[in-house]
Amino acid sequence: MAMSKRKKAQYRRIAVYVLSIVALLAVALVVDWGRLQSAMFQWDIVVDQFPGILTSAAKNTIIFTIFGFAGGLSFGLLFALMRLSTVRPYRWFAATYIEIFRGIPLLVTLLILGFGIPIATGWHWPNPYVQGAVPLALVASAYMAETIRAGIEAVPKGQMEAARSLGMSYSRAMISIIIPQALRIIVPPLTNEFVLLIKDTSLISVLGVTAGTRDLARFGRDGVNHTANATPLIVAGLVYLAMTVPLTQLVAWMERREKAASR
Amino acid sequence: MARTTRLLASLAALSFVVASCGGSSSSSDTTAAASTGTQELKFTPIAEGKLTVCSDAPYEPFEFQNEDKTWTGFDMDIMTAIAQRYGLALEVTVQPFDGIWLAPKAGTCDVVASSLTITEERAANAAFSEGYFDSFQSLLVRTADKDTLNSLASLSGKTVAVQTGTTGEEYAKTNAPDAKIQSFDDAAAMFLALESKQVDAVLQDFPINAFRAIKMGTSVVSIKFDTESEKYGFAASQDNTELVKAINESLAEFRTNGVYDGIYKKYFG
Repeated sequence: MAMSKRKKAQYRRIAVYVLSIVALLAVALVVDWGRLQSAMFQWDIVVDQFPGILTSAAKNTIIFTIFGFAGGLSFGLLFALMRLSTVRPYRWFAATYIEIFRGIPLLVTLLILGFGIPIATGWHWPNPYVQGAVPLALVASAYMAETIRAGIEAVPKGQMEAARSLGMSYSRAMISIIIPQALRIIVPPLTNEFVLLIKDTSLISVLGVTAGTRDLARFGRDGVNHTANATPLIVAGLVYLAMTVPLTQLVAWMERREKAASR
Repeated sequence: MARTTRLLASLAALSFVVASCGGSSSSSDTTAAASTGTQELKFTPIAEGKLTVCSDAPYEPFEFQNEDKTWTGFDMDIMTAIAQRYGLALEVTVQPFDGIWLAPKAGTCDVVASSLTITEERAANAAFSEGYFDSFQSLLVRTADKDTLNSLASLSGKTVAVQTGTTGEEYAKTNAPDAKIQSFDDAAAMFLALESKQVDAVLQDFPINAFRAIKMGTSVVSIKFDTESEKYGFAASQDNTELVKAINESLAEFRTNGVYDGIYKKYFG
């Protein structure tokens, strides 16, 4: 029996749909939902997590993220401009900085800066928020510098030439013409960077936490310890999603707008 | 086109296989065991022929590795002796201390040997062996502070480091409410924080602090809280009654035939 290509594709698609439904049914029937729920989502434990998980843990996560992002963006912009500079020492310094802080895992950076520097110099971190946010900002700035640089380079070269020929200095042209156009390109990846930072804050607790400085992941882990149940971790995961999903949706919306606008 | 699809599919399959073999973030080492004169194995280990032990290591002098990577320490020597008694090899997986007594229930190991104090809260979710070591809490401080930070009262307003999930953490919260308590999930980070002056004292089990003081020379134990002693126990899953029985029988035998005393003398003189 000879089937046309379209018919074959149609049958194949139906087969995939049927198989997916069968697989879902199999999972629904095989999994012991009662046991899963008692191990991972007991309602009384869920309720116990609030309000502490929001008023203390999520608050700390947001504080770390915002400081990390603000610092990362400012230094990221600085290093991006240095990378594009005509002055070779600037270029060299920025490139080295970016390589180092992108190449070392955040956990190691936190430990080296959090403990190593005070031990080596005798200088102390003024408070745990600064101790956690500064390494985070330094690493974030390395990644953002590359994103910003790519954005600036994506602006057509004609823009800089036109600006210069109108008599603007290099900095004037950068500030008024190039960077505003670059921003349209880099806002989606920078928002992604913000989402990544939210998750990176989960490592800061390695530097030691007091009851007041626990971040969301630490709060969840302590909860597991106290209740001998995985529910607190699931709740923490859901709170993370509550923070990151709106942001990723925002990025998707921005990208759709960008696509429509640039047509 | 078909060839590249097939290549990609086989690469994907291969990576799944490799990933599933890689497993969790733990390291393990095995030591061979003698197979003569062994007791009958009445419990079922999770890995055939091996006694899988979870531990938060290194934690000298209870669990740490020699230069040649063999596991040693008070806990590990006892575990090796028990494993040999049943003709099993010792396999150790390392994980953070926080909630480690829940690991046998989760199936990642047979037993926990990690300077684990027996408490009611933990016994609700794990089966403990008989106590095998008596310990108590103590304060480790920088040598300069040894005469000033030598009591619970002196900690008021100071920063104290404790390890998350330990009885030391509980002890600090109950008995030093005026101190600023910082919890670390890694013992090494605690001692680093003491050196970097981020904290003023470390509240931890006496043997750990004493060993650390001797090893580093920059800190000293300023006080032992020896009025409240605690016992260490090995923890297994609550339905693994045969393993707990086997451990208790082994411990009883070791106490009579000098094995326990030998191990104790090796580390505590």
